[in-house]
Amino acid sequence: MILQRFSAGLAWLLVVAAVPALGHHSVPGQFDVSKPVVLTGTIAKVDWINPHIYVHLSVKDAKGGVTTWALATLPTAMMRRSKITKTSLSGKPGEVVTVNAAPARDGTRNLGWINKITYADGHVVQLAGS
Amino acid sequence: MTTRLLIVMGSAAVAAVMAGCGPAPSAPAPSAESAGAPAPGPRGSEEQLKALAARPTPRLADGRIDFNATWDHLGGIEFVRVRTEASADGSVCVFGCAPPPGAARGEGGGARRGGGSPPPMGPGFPAYKPEFAAKVKDLSDRQVQMDTNLRCAAPGVPRIGPPGKIVQNAREVVFLYDDVNGAFFRIIPTDGRPHPTDTEPSYLGDAVGRYEGDSLIVETRNLNEETWLTDNGAFHTADLKVTERLTRVGDTIRYEAVADDPAVLSAPWALRPLTLWVSDQELAEPARCEDRDLPHMVDGSYHSNPR
Repeated sequence: MILQRFSAGLAWLLVVAAVPALGHHSVPGQFDVSKPVVLTGTIAKVDWINPHIYVHLSVKDAKGGVTTWALATLPTAMMRRSKITKTSLSGKPGEVVTVNAAPARDGTRNLGWINKITYADGHVVQLAGS
Repeated sequence: MTTRLLIVMGSAAVAAVMAGCGPAPSAPAPSAESAGAPAPGPRGSEEQLKALAARPTPRLADGRIDFNATWDHLGGIEFVRVRTEASADGSVCVFGCAPPPGAARGEGGGARRGGGSPPPMGPGFPAYKPEFAAKVKDLSDRQVQMDTNLRCAAPGVPRIGPPGKIVQNAREVVFLYDDVNGAFFRIIPTDGRPHPTDTEPSYLGDAVGRYEGDSLIVETRNLNEETWLTDNGAFHTADLKVTERLTRVGDTIRYEAVADDPAVLSAPWALRPLTLWVSDQELAEPARCEDRDLPHMVDGSYHSNPR
């Protein structure tokens, strides 16, 4: 378990090292890439805007409460070039996805930067790092 | 709203050019093999660019070089070699993927486009007079607060980079951009009309063009002082003049630009040349630009915003 966590942390550090810059400003300037989070939920909405698309992820807690995360990612043109549309990024209605993300550094709750999204069928859209 | 207005205006501008007076241009006439026809090698690779450059250079009926096409380049938000083919299970890596073998690197000189901007007052950065070094550093330190480019404004010239599409007739040339900050256009008379004298300074200034051999020369001035030449506090004055040279070679263009602002620069600043190539991917209306991030920045860190 510890080894797994270490490996995950190391992988994340490598990701961060490979991603000095995205979009309009520094990702590490806004998001704490040293504290990755893994979120499981359904995509409630996608704001298809520049310079960063926002994915709104509804996450249920153990008590049944729902928290919605606002998760920023790449600009639309990069998605277009990769043949990713707003529809495909959104997944199927109600589809449970897993999002690896970095939380905001300024203390804003439920705000993050997407590393990758894993959809219910197992396919992955990698949006940061490698 | 502004973006919509610009798009409408841009469309009108293109329509006007396409219906322009004087000898009708040939239909956009990329060479027989081009029109976006695939060339060997990864996108933007040396192999691909060499093959595209070897194609015939198309000309208009009047003999001038034909620049009509959609043009791609390795720059800006596309600096990442995004994959266009998903793997068998539908997975796709958009960012941070390993570059494909043979992917093009920037041409020499300065930082690789997209890989980072030149540091203030460092190699590749505009050469400022010593008395302006402190101002550049201050602006650079406060880029998150001071750079209008981070707030969806037009990037200015030359920061906006090469055009994504060129529409050309006997009287003028139009540069079109589907920039991350919005849809922008520049109308460039090539029939000898002088710079206008009754326009306010603007983000993209006013430009006039002329042909020199196989090159199109575009001189731009009347730029406002809200934009920078590049990242890291590279401010300029309203006296800035920018000269762009586009030289078509086969289905490629060599794009060069020089910014001259003698009031603050100790020498004209030449951007690193870029190679553009005919693309089959049409421009698209950019999504609305709406920054939601800057209020959450906890430090002044930022990164390059090349085009």
